[in-house]
Amino acid sequence: MLFAFLLLFLLRALFGFEPLYDGAVYGGVAGLIGAIGFLWGIGCFDFWLGWAKGADISEEDHSFHGVSNWKQYFRVNTDHKVIGLQYLGATLFFMLWGGLMALLIRTELAAPGQQFADGETYNGFLSMHATLMIFVFAVPVFGGIANYVLPIMLGAKDMAFPRLNALSFWFLPVAGFMFLASMFTGMFGAAWTAYPPLASQGTMGQTLFELGIQFAGASSIATAINFLATIVTMRAPGMTIWRMPILAWATGVTSVLAVFATPFIAGSQFLTMFDRIMGTHFFVPDQGGDVIMYQHIFWFYSHPAVYIMLLPGFGIISEIIATFARKPLFGYRAMAFSLVAIAVLGFGVWAHHMFVSGMAAWLRVPMMVTTIIIAVPTGVKMWSWLATLWQGRIHMKTPMLWAMGFLFTFLLGGLSGVFLGIVPADIQMSDTYFVTAHLHYVLYGGTVFTVFAGLYYWFPKMTGKMYNERLGQWHFWLTFAATQLTFFPMHWQGLQGMPRRVSDYDPRFETVNSIETVGSYMLGIATIIFFYNIITSWKSGPKAPWNPWRGKTLEWMVSSPPPLFNFDVEPQVVGGPYQYGIPDARHAVVFAPEEFGGELTEDTRYPVLVVANETLTSQTLIDEIRSRDSEGLWSFQLVAPVGDGDRSTTERRLATALAILAESGVSATGRVAEGDMVSVATEAAAEVAPQELVIATLPLAQSRWMQTDSVDKVRKATGVAMSHVIVPPNDARALLATAALPLVMVVATEAVGAEALATAVRTRADAQPARFTVVTPLDLPEPRWGAEANELRRAAGEAMTATINALVNTGVAVDGEVMDDGADVALPLAIDAYRPSVIIVAGINGEAAGLRAAAEAAAGETPVESVNLGAAAGA
Amino acid sequence: MATTAGHAPADQGHATPEQPHHMKPALMGMLLFIGSEVMLFASLFTAYFFIRYGVANETWPPLKQDGEPFELPVVLTGVNTLILVSSSFTLWWGEKRLAAGDNKGLIRGLWVTILMGATFLLIQLNEYAHLGFTPQDRAFSGAFYTLTGFHGAHVLVGLIVLSLCLRRAYQRDFSATYHTPLTAGSYYWHFVDIVWVLLFFLVYVI
Ligand code: HEM
Ligand SMILES: [Cu+2]
Repeated sequence: MLFAFLLLFLLRALFGFEPLYDGAVYGGVAGLIGAIGFLWGIGCFDFWLGWAKGADISEEDHSFHGVSNWKQYFRVNTDHKVIGLQYLGATLFFMLWGGLMALLIRTELAAPGQQFADGETYNGFLSMHATLMIFVFAVPVFGGIANYVLPIMLGAKDMAFPRLNALSFWFLPVAGFMFLASMFTGMFGAAWTAYPPLASQGTMGQTLFELGIQFAGASSIATAINFLATIVTMRAPGMTIWRMPILAWATGVTSVLAVFATPFIAGSQFLTMFDRIMGTHFFVPDQGGDVIMYQHIFWFYSHPAVYIMLLPGFGIISEIIATFARKPLFGYRAMAFSLVAIAVLGFGVWAHHMFVSGMAAWLRVPMMVTTIIIAVPTGVKMWSWLATLWQGRIHMKTPMLWAMGFLFTFLLGGLSGVFLGIVPADIQMSDTYFVTAHLHYVLYGGTVFTVFAGLYYWFPKMTGKMYNERLGQWHFWLTFAATQLTFFPMHWQGLQGMPRRVSDYDPRFETVNSIETVGSYMLGIATIIFFYNIITSWKSGPKAPWNPWRGKTLEWMVSSPPPLFNFDVEPQVVGGPYQYGIPDARHAVVFAPEEFGGELTEDTRYPVLVVANETLTSQTLIDEIRSRDSEGLWSFQLVAPVGDGDRSTTERRLATALAILAESGVSATGRVAEGDMVSVATEAAAEVAPQELVIATLPLAQSRWMQTDSVDKVRKATGVAMSHVIVPPNDARALLATAALPLVMVVATEAVGAEALATAVRTRADAQPARFTVVTPLDLPEPRWGAEANELRRAAGEAMTATINALVNTGVAVDGEVMDDGADVALPLAIDAYRPSVIIVAGINGEAAGLRAAAEAAAGETPVESVNLGAAAGA
Repeated sequence: MATTAGHAPADQGHATPEQPHHMKPALMGMLLFIGSEVMLFASLFTAYFFIRYGVANETWPPLKQDGEPFELPVVLTGVNTLILVSSSFTLWWGEKRLAAGDNKGLIRGLWVTILMGATFLLIQLNEYAHLGFTPQDRAFSGAFYTLTGFHGAHVLVGLIVLSLCLRRAYQRDFSATYHTPLTAGSYYWHFVDIVWVLLFFLVYVI
């Protein structure tokens, strides 16, 4: 350090600087050397120094990999999972500081006039707030999430350059603490945009700002290079680019932006720093300098940077919406291409931040046009998300709530962005609170909400613990409401002309400002809930399963948290990542360690609750359950509420349904429950804690459940993702064409229509689930078209209908046929057509003997039994 | 929580036709890094052109604070440019020798390249000493020193990288099949040279 000061002194003497000693300069150099010394000291450079010294270092040295206790999170580590958490820890820490500054700002603005901060202090708070939030929270935070999940999603063991990864992380606290340190040296006050000439004045804090940006930028570029190399070269076999999760696309595209745009902010900060400490005149007009030039260079980075703060969030939302709507992501390729389009267009709109700056006037219209065009790919994404939700089975878990909050909030931010992109409108609104409203809507929606969505979504994976769902939902609703409360009125304020970045305002804005201050305190409380939730859950939450959300991407196919190197054997990708609801679709196969061999498969089944009564045996419902079963690991709990109906009827239907499901290999259990549907379903849901609820009813006209609105009541009472299956009435009553149940053929003539026959069939059905067909051979008198024959037919048909109705209404699967021939002719035909497994001849007294003889003659191998209904029928 | 089931991993059968293209991560990383360096210079050139445009109605080159025009030694720097550009070719020659299995040739190529690079730097420094204006002169001088200074720093980094490669070459660490660090270093060196050619034309010649 001393040596450096000496060198600096000599250099300054050599080039004739006046004065030889200038605190800002020496302080800056001290900061720089301190930072590098710190990085060196904690061992960031060990590997490369070893290489430079020609030492024999091994690529396979993993001594810096993994952690065994929490203190090691504060050391250099090369494990992408540790680095991911380090990133998240650091960025959230800086977010807290930034948030604290925001509360100070809002407190000062709670009333007109000066509360506790004069203009300069206010500028300091404002600049610190924005700088921390943008450069050490919003930009790098996604680096944390992606660092953790992306290599696993791609089927890789780590990032492409683990040591570079560690270095790029450690740049970040250096940058953050340089910004924070400026609190002791006089805070920088030129906001995060640091326009000269304001930035050329000011204290030593401004120099620290300029240095900090260099470190944050270097971190960003190095991470981006790492992500790109990982995505291009480290994908598992079978992971074609069209099978990558959208988060991989988003991270890749973002990384391209970071690699090619970030050098511009580095350049701009070098120039302002040279003006400050070397006495150059880049931004001094009477020396040939140009202040507008700064804004061009700065925004050429900072507009793409808004996409750096946003596109990974788009990726996270795509993952979450597909998973929690249980549907394939709508328009996968459109999603990928729109990301690329946004990034490409994003390089051509920078000057929309400069419409009122006095830049070359001809640039305005082209920049306006490109700005508005970006709304097109953004709209493509919006519609794709909505289309994914459309008719999905939506699970409103905390991550999904945040995703919904994102859609709403970001939509408003995007709309105000279009306003601002239009030159005449922007001339009016630029530098007012309208801009503040816009940027907070996009940053809250696009960054804060998506980050929280991702944190809750992957919390079980990262920590191996479940977070507290109730607190998570509280956190969401409070944040959501407070965000609208704090930022929505700013639109109006802006249109009324209240300028931004000023510590005082016209008294007529007092009411809105104090409302906003209340909103900001609510945001503070919500943040406390969040930290309480994650800290206590991490310490003592319930253990998380591998795949709590039934996701399909690779990170859900390894344990929570994943093993040190993620996969013991390289996984094989076999399909797209979002094939929810598609029978037998798989994304990837993960293999067990060599010594065990075979495939690593999950076997935790999650319950799905099925509520139905009259429709239990319908083809529609059975098909729904079957296809659901082939899509994932579910176990089905059928609950049949009796309501005011007959218990044994319900039991028969349930038995039939369970037999059919068992035959299809579906894991299902069931019970009949007394009570009305709403209370039965609600209690059952509380008891089995199902992932999903399926309720089957007849159409509205026939369904008492729907007429009493019970389905919606259950939806509200349980809050579980629900699908409502509507079964056509004929389907509910139809005899199921299924091999699952033995077919019993009942041959009867006189007995048909008698209550005794129905009772006998019911008894039989209760003994063993079966389906029935009732056959009546009619020995008609000649001529068969005569009046007498017709009368016989009509009577037989009526009797048959009565029997069938009596049986179907009590839950027996049955149909019947009246045949126009005597038993000797009709029965062979019927047996040939129906192929029953048992034939039962039902007669009243002795008359059945003839029928039985004919049946036995036609039956062949099929056993023939008979029942005598004599006594019962006579009674 | 999980069981192992079914067939053995031996028949993983990499059935999917399209395998990811396996480029060397290190080289890809270097190319991306160079991409960002290109953008860094682009930002500095932007500044330079804004300043140039800003004084468009003065004569070019603009006037110093003392009223004299800025003058740059085009001929000397032209010679210097040739030296730097040739060093790209000597490096290329060294790599070709290595590909032919001739480690000695590589060492020679590296030595020549490094010496030429160092010569370039020394001549530049000498030029700084005799220019007759400092960075604190008008904006043009700041831009001039910033551009050439950044470039000089890059040459220095390139020299360090090549020296490390040289050391490795003496240890016989490179072979016709393994030479990734060397290739990455040479990409960087070529980039530094190309930037200089641009800089020379945009700042000195036109
Ligand atoms: C449809 C999309 C968008 C459009 C059309 C748009 C347009 C604009 C325009 C024209 C301005 C300049 C207003 C002025 O200063 O007078 C602006 C400011 C801003 N926008 Fe956006 N924007 C969009 C999306 C975003 C996104 C996604 C983000 C961040 C994630 C963002 C962050 C910002 C920020 C931070 C500012 C304020 C910059 C400052 O401090 O001066 N914008 N936007
Ligand atoms: Cu912009």
